[in-house]
Amino acid sequence: MELNRRNFIKFLVGGVAGIHVTPLPWKLTDDSAIWTQNWPWVPVPPEGAFATESTVCTLCPGGCGIEVRKVDERTVKIEGRTDYPVNPGGPCPVGMGGLQLLCNEDIRFTRPMKRVGPRGSGDFKDITWDEAMEALRGRLAGLREQGRPEALVAIDGSPRGSTQALLLERLLMSMGSSNYTRIPSAEDTFWMAGILMQGNEGPMAFDLENADFILSFGSGLLEGWGAPGRVLNAWGMWRGEQKGKTRIVQVDSRASNTASKADRWVAVKPGTEAALALGLAHVLVTKNLYDRAFVRDHAFGFEPWESSDGKRRAGFKALLLEKYAPSKVSRMTGVPAAEIERLATDFARARAPLALCGKGKGDLNGSLYETMAVLALNALVGGINRRGGVLVHDKLPLDPFAAVEADAIASAGLRKGRLDGAGSATFPFAQSLVNRLPELVLKSRSTPVDTVLVLAANPLYTLPGSGAYRRMFEKVPFIVSFSPYRDETAMMADLILPDHVFLEKLQDVVWPSGLQYPLVGLSRPVIEPLYRTRHAGDVLIGLAKGLGEGVADNFPWENFEEALKERFKGIAEGAPGLTSFDGSTPPWETMASGGDIRADYESLDDLWEKMQSGGLWFRPAHAYGVRNGLFKTPTGRFEFFSTQIELALEEQSQHGGTDEVLARMGVSARGDEACMPHFEEASSGGDPAHYPLILVPYEMINLASGWIPSPPFLFKTIFDNQLLKQDSFVELNPETAAKLNLRQGQRVMVESPAGRIQARVSLFEGAAPGAAYLPLGLGHTAYDEFLKDKGANPNEIIEPARDPLSGLPAWWNTRVRLRRI
Amino acid sequence: MDSPTHSYGVKRCSPGVFFLWTLPWLGILAWGGLSAVLCLWKGLNQTNMSNVFAFALWIVFDLAVIALGAGAFFTGFLTYIVGKKELKDIINAAVIIGFICYSGAMAMLGIDIGQPLRGWFIFWHANVHSMLVEVSFCITCYLMVLTIEFIPIILENRTLQKVRELRLFGHNLHEIMAVFAATGTFLSFFHQGSLGGMFGVMYARPFAARGGFYIWPWTFFLFVLSAIAAGPLFTILCTKLTEFITRKKLVPDQAVQSLAKISAWLLSLYLVFKFIDTLGWANSLVPKAGLRFMDFYREGPYGFWMVVAELGICGILPAVILMIPKVRQQQGWLIFAGLLTCAGIVLNRFVFIIVTLAIPVMPFDRFWSYLPTWQEWGVGLAVVGYGFLLFSAAYRYLPVFPKEPELNPAAD
Amino acid sequence: MEKGPDHGKHRYGMVIDLDKCTGCGTCAVACAAENNVSVRQDESDKERSISWMQIFKITNGKPYPDTEVSYFPRPCMHCEEDGHGHHTSPCVTVCVATATKLDPNSGIVSQIYTRCIGCRYCQAACPYKARYFNWWDAYFPKGKGLDRYLTPEVSPRMRGVVEKCTFCHHRLMRAKTRAYAEDRREIEEDEYITACTEACPAQAITFGDLNNPKHRVSRLAKSPNAFRLLERLNTKPKVYYLSTKDWVRKLADNYLPDEFKPLS
Ligand SMILES: Nc1nc2c(c(=O)[nH]1)N[C@H]1C(S)=C(S)[C@@H](COP(=O)(O)OP(=O)(O)OC[C@H]3O[C@@H](n4cnc5c(=O)[nH]c(N)nc54)[C@H](O)[C@@H]3O)O[C@H]1N2
Ligand SMILES: Nc1nc2c(c(=O)[nH]1)N[C@H]1C(S)=C(S)[C@@H](COP(=O)(O)OP(=O)(O)OC[C@H]3O[C@@H](n4cnc5c(=O)[nH]c(N)nc54)[C@H](O)[C@@H]3O)O[C@H]1N2
Ligand code: SF4
Ligand code: SF4
Ligand code: SF4
Ligand code: SF4
Ligand code: SF4
Repeated sequence: MELNRRNFIKFLVGGVAGIHVTPLPWKLTDDSAIWTQNWPWVPVPPEGAFATESTVCTLCPGGCGIEVRKVDERTVKIEGRTDYPVNPGGPCPVGMGGLQLLCNEDIRFTRPMKRVGPRGSGDFKDITWDEAMEALRGRLAGLREQGRPEALVAIDGSPRGSTQALLLERLLMSMGSSNYTRIPSAEDTFWMAGILMQGNEGPMAFDLENADFILSFGSGLLEGWGAPGRVLNAWGMWRGEQKGKTRIVQVDSRASNTASKADRWVAVKPGTEAALALGLAHVLVTKNLYDRAFVRDHAFGFEPWESSDGKRRAGFKALLLEKYAPSKVSRMTGVPAAEIERLATDFARARAPLALCGKGKGDLNGSLYETMAVLALNALVGGINRRGGVLVHDKLPLDPFAAVEADAIASAGLRKGRLDGAGSATFPFAQSLVNRLPELVLKSRSTPVDTVLVLAANPLYTLPGSGAYRRMFEKVPFIVSFSPYRDETAMMADLILPDHVFLEKLQDVVWPSGLQYPLVGLSRPVIEPLYRTRHAGDVLIGLAKGLGEGVADNFPWENFEEALKERFKGIAEGAPGLTSFDGSTPPWETMASGGDIRADYESLDDLWEKMQSGGLWFRPAHAYGVRNGLFKTPTGRFEFFSTQIELALEEQSQHGGTDEVLARMGVSARGDEACMPHFEEASSGGDPAHYPLILVPYEMINLASGWIPSPPFLFKTIFDNQLLKQDSFVELNPETAAKLNLRQGQRVMVESPAGRIQARVSLFEGAAPGAAYLPLGLGHTAYDEFLKDKGANPNEIIEPARDPLSGLPAWWNTRVRLRRI
Repeated sequence: MDSPTHSYGVKRCSPGVFFLWTLPWLGILAWGGLSAVLCLWKGLNQTNMSNVFAFALWIVFDLAVIALGAGAFFTGFLTYIVGKKELKDIINAAVIIGFICYSGAMAMLGIDIGQPLRGWFIFWHANVHSMLVEVSFCITCYLMVLTIEFIPIILENRTLQKVRELRLFGHNLHEIMAVFAATGTFLSFFHQGSLGGMFGVMYARPFAARGGFYIWPWTFFLFVLSAIAAGPLFTILCTKLTEFITRKKLVPDQAVQSLAKISAWLLSLYLVFKFIDTLGWANSLVPKAGLRFMDFYREGPYGFWMVVAELGICGILPAVILMIPKVRQQQGWLIFAGLLTCAGIVLNRFVFIIVTLAIPVMPFDRFWSYLPTWQEWGVGLAVVGYGFLLFSAAYRYLPVFPKEPELNPAAD
Repeated sequence: MEKGPDHGKHRYGMVIDLDKCTGCGTCAVACAAENNVSVRQDESDKERSISWMQIFKITNGKPYPDTEVSYFPRPCMHCEEDGHGHHTSPCVTVCVATATKLDPNSGIVSQIYTRCIGCRYCQAACPYKARYFNWWDAYFPKGKGLDRYLTPEVSPRMRGVVEKCTFCHHRLMRAKTRAYAEDRREIEEDEYITACTEACPAQAITFGDLNNPKHRVSRLAKSPNAFRLLERLNTKPKVYYLSTKDWVRKLADNYLPDEFKPLS
């Protein structure tokens, strides 16, 4: 064949066409593309029947109603519930990401374990539940045999008043130990202030939604204060339908979300909120803007009076006039005097003003005197038990169980009293002082503590001055953790008895923090437990039974559910309420009905059944305006001057002068002032000459800073000037940074007398000059790759002083310095 | 040394020396190969590209290389269509350089996309509105054309010439080369333009966006012009480098000067349009987006110096040098101006790619910086290594420079 | 574009009230949970982490104590045709493989992961940074159990493709399926809302059909406080924002000096 042009073109065209008609290249190309669409390592979620189940979130004390979307037996999504009064709508980001805390074998204990490696190494061996129960039972029985049941200590983070908490305390008491301690929270401070000024044991209830002027003393309304689901939902309402009707003023040292989004931000020096509250009170008095009727008819200790011993007592008004003039308060707080006057006027002139306290999220306790000062401010405007004010409640009629019958061993143990001194002469108002445990254990050669039970708590991470707890735990002979999570504290444990996590677990949610009406949520399991975990309540009951007569007698229930149901007897019999919420009228609108409410259940069984489906009992009714017979203080009035503090001081003065007692209590005021709300300059470790900055740990709604770990999803919402790889950022005012010669992003050591942590500098105009802000919720040394070694935990360098009077940790005033590295 | 594989009448170094010469380029290729394997196997996380820098070093290399490779189609156009006979002395080199540039760019693109095995979806699920589709179609077709243009050069190899069929095949191909040159010109015009169009059509990126003619934004035409201005100069630079390394004169001055003169005019024309474009853009699109010209030159290292460098030092300066025949005729100035022009075009492509992405559009967003990883450098530089290797081999075995024997008569 | 019987009938859109928005991030978490978005070990690598709904923090830049912060939650804007027939959404116009499309019946800009070739041109074209490339395979380490919470309604993505907010398109499908099963042609306002809308505890997000005057979004979008991000670029976003604060409004777009018109 001649290869001429003609043939050549034929050849070319034919060749090209020929290749195209062979199927091979096309098939291969297509197959390879299909392969990329079906990579075997890309997960394929199984299909199934869709269903939704309602329950209550227990990841924080907020107790939001949630709906869980399921595909067959898998839980695939958490959503908010509109038929739940706390958060008629969305939950918070932690709750939203909650499934990641359920389905993650690296952060959970999937079965009971015992320690095999050195303490803290995280080296555990699987054991059976029988072995685990027997190991603990044996230990506890041994303590009783040795006649030292009081060497059993519990650290409990379960919500106040929850059945689980009651069972744990009950186990200790039945054993013979009074050493049941709790992780302190704002609830504890509220409780004390309530007792001291109102004489009531019910939770502090803020009628937020009915208020028209909210003055928040550092409460992180948008950072997770109170029941976060409730507050965030209310926020939307304030900025939505109610636009302009409710004014929000935030007292804060930093331009937090709440401060920025409030109608007004009052910038104060960190830790001086009480002074500002008293300064406002001063203005109310001098400008005659206070509720004279309330003060005259229902309060005690405001005007001067003559006490039974014939002494003239000056009273709270005199204290205000003497010490809290705006000019003086301005110096203490940094707020201009004119602003103090204006704020006080605005507050008093509002129809329903409400002052809030509880630092940040309120996960940690606040200052008792500060809380009292804010409560006093509410009282001065008549905002106690008034619509839109602070509502006074009695305790919920939940059955507290029959009193513990202590056998001989137990009685002997209980007589030895509490190790931490709570309720003693020095700490007369505290119920428990977990912060005192480390020094007690560390100071003596042979520790008075033998076995520690840790339930729903992670003190090694969440408590200020966490280093001390680590040292304590190194010394304690035996540690038992009920944690479902591989948290820092569990890593130190000798025995792990893993609890279920929230969606697997039956729980009661008693009165979400700060809610203005009584509510108990029932968190039902919506899924079979994924792993070989066991309900902590069942474990406690099982243990008690295993300890035989004496202890077992106090635990007549077959299981947790039975105990839980029994507690609702009081409600079924004596407290009318509702078990469903249709979402049409919010409870805070119907509350004014005045206490007349018809129960929608007839018996305990009926109530129980209804709670299973609706998930709640609540009582949207309140006797607004009633003050007569309301206050259970010794004077029967709201006490600006706490006669109980006076009484406690008098009782103790036999063992030394009152001054000495006050000094032991950590109170620097003397005389009558100590019985009234006042401002105490925070005194904590660190000489300002060496440690020029004040460390302010701050909280974020999108990080869990308590014992529950953060779902990894949350890290999508953390900015890279909050966390960058392993570094968290310390926020500084640009002016402060310039003085220290520090630039954005620079690595620094944040040093306090208690220790040091590494961080990077973030310049933020909204940070108070002279302060250093570090976020709480980062810096875990436990868990998995999502959480471990990310950022720093400020608790490690906080050297908590004692909050005057309450004895709880004062963690808001550590001084630090920054060193460039 | 004469060898049956070399062309008649030329001298080539010994195989040993040639082997040593290839070593560094082989080394770079190995580096690039390793990088490519890592990127294909582990994914593009091997690079420092990101959601901010969705396009990065490789695309800069791609666009630069394609612009510089424009010497092939444009010289082809001048030689076969316009009929500038003197350019026959340099057309082979231009074609080979073009082939290197385009094949290198295609290989790099294959690694650059996240799903290389689905690359053909561009053709199968083509979106006719996408400039990148136009680019892909044209480049693919043009690479075929380049291959066809390259084949006859390969077939002119002394050994291959002995096979009658191959010789005839090559001859026939050569005969119809004008058809391919025309096709190539057409295709190149579109893809060079579409590459510019890619950026001009991003109407939500005010730094890159341009108005235009019908569906083509002005950048379409600017990219064509800048490519045909710089491409021939790059061909010249490559031949000069070859002359320098081989210490021989390979191309008659007439061919070089002819190309350089055309480049000078094109460069000047380009600059005129570029200035008009910049002024027009700065006074219409930019203020319409709420911005001022200088707002774009505030972020990170990307200051106004870029404009000075691109349009002044690498634009006006070489244009002036090349426009003056006396200066242009001096080899030093010619090379200097060529280097500046090529640098200017690379800078231009860099600015359109990297700076466009680096400048945040949302006012509350911030500036991000980008540094390539060794894997990115590896793949990018592999094209350079591959270019040196292929061109060296072509020089050694093929009659790349038809005038070489004539310009370098055997000493004996 | 083919014109079906419903062409242009619905234009789903969103209004985010920035005065209500607390910056809590629940919307972003809800989105990730709803759409099987993978979480990487290092999410602080913001250039490469994936968050279809991304929260941007802004400050007014004033010195202490006049500083204020606010937030822009940013889903995909579901940009539209420009109205002159010149171009459609920035990303859709440029996509080489028609892997992202503007659905004329819902106004939703879809993303087809199995067709995307990963060229990232769409990312370059989108000024809102709403598009995310999968630099890695989805991170569900073997034996960790994380894949247990994945929902089958949205397929997890493979590495090398771009993903973005789809206005929870599967929820539209869910609603439509139900409506059809009940023999209805149209779906009601609240039957189709996105996961972020539903999740926002402050009710800052409203979702619905901008073409339907009865839907809240269409009313809110006409509010004098309503504005869109980078509106001047003519991308025609279907996500609107509300704010009464001028400093916030001003940060939503670029303005020449003296060009910005304050509300107050
Ligand atoms: N309501 C409604 N119904 C429809 C349609 C609609 O628009 N609306 N569209 C119809 C159309 S056009 C189609 S094609 C069908 C699609 O119907 P299906 O094929 O059911 O579609 P998908 O839900 O996309 O994917 C099915 C499953 O494949 C999983 N999967 C993903 N990758 C892989 C893999 O690599 N291997 C395996 N084994 N599984 C994988 C996904 O996670 C998902 O669970 O639906 C039809 N039905
Ligand atoms: N994110 C995501 N993307 C996907 C998929 C996925 O699972 N997830 N699946 C992929 C698959 S399998 C497919 S098939 C495609 C489907 O992708 P498309 O074909 O884009 O899908 P649809 O939105 O279902 O429908 C197309 C349009 O047709 C309109 N229409 C309905 N009836 C008629 C009619 O009679 N005439 C005309 N002219 N129009 C009509 C509908 O209103 C709709 O606007 O999506 C692909 N893309
Ligand atoms: S606020 Fe608390 S209870 Fe509500 S969703 Fe969040 S973690 Fe759960
Ligand atoms: S969930 Fe709502 S309030 Fe929270 S960041 Fe998103 S839009 Fe804002
Ligand atoms: S926001 Fe970006 S991704 Fe979304 S439609 Fe617009 S251009 Fe496309
Ligand atoms: S990355 Fe995917 S969606 Fe984006 S342009 Fe390329 S093919 Fe289209
Ligand atoms: S609309 Fe759906 S996909 Fe888009 S951001 Fe909201 S939740 Fe995510």
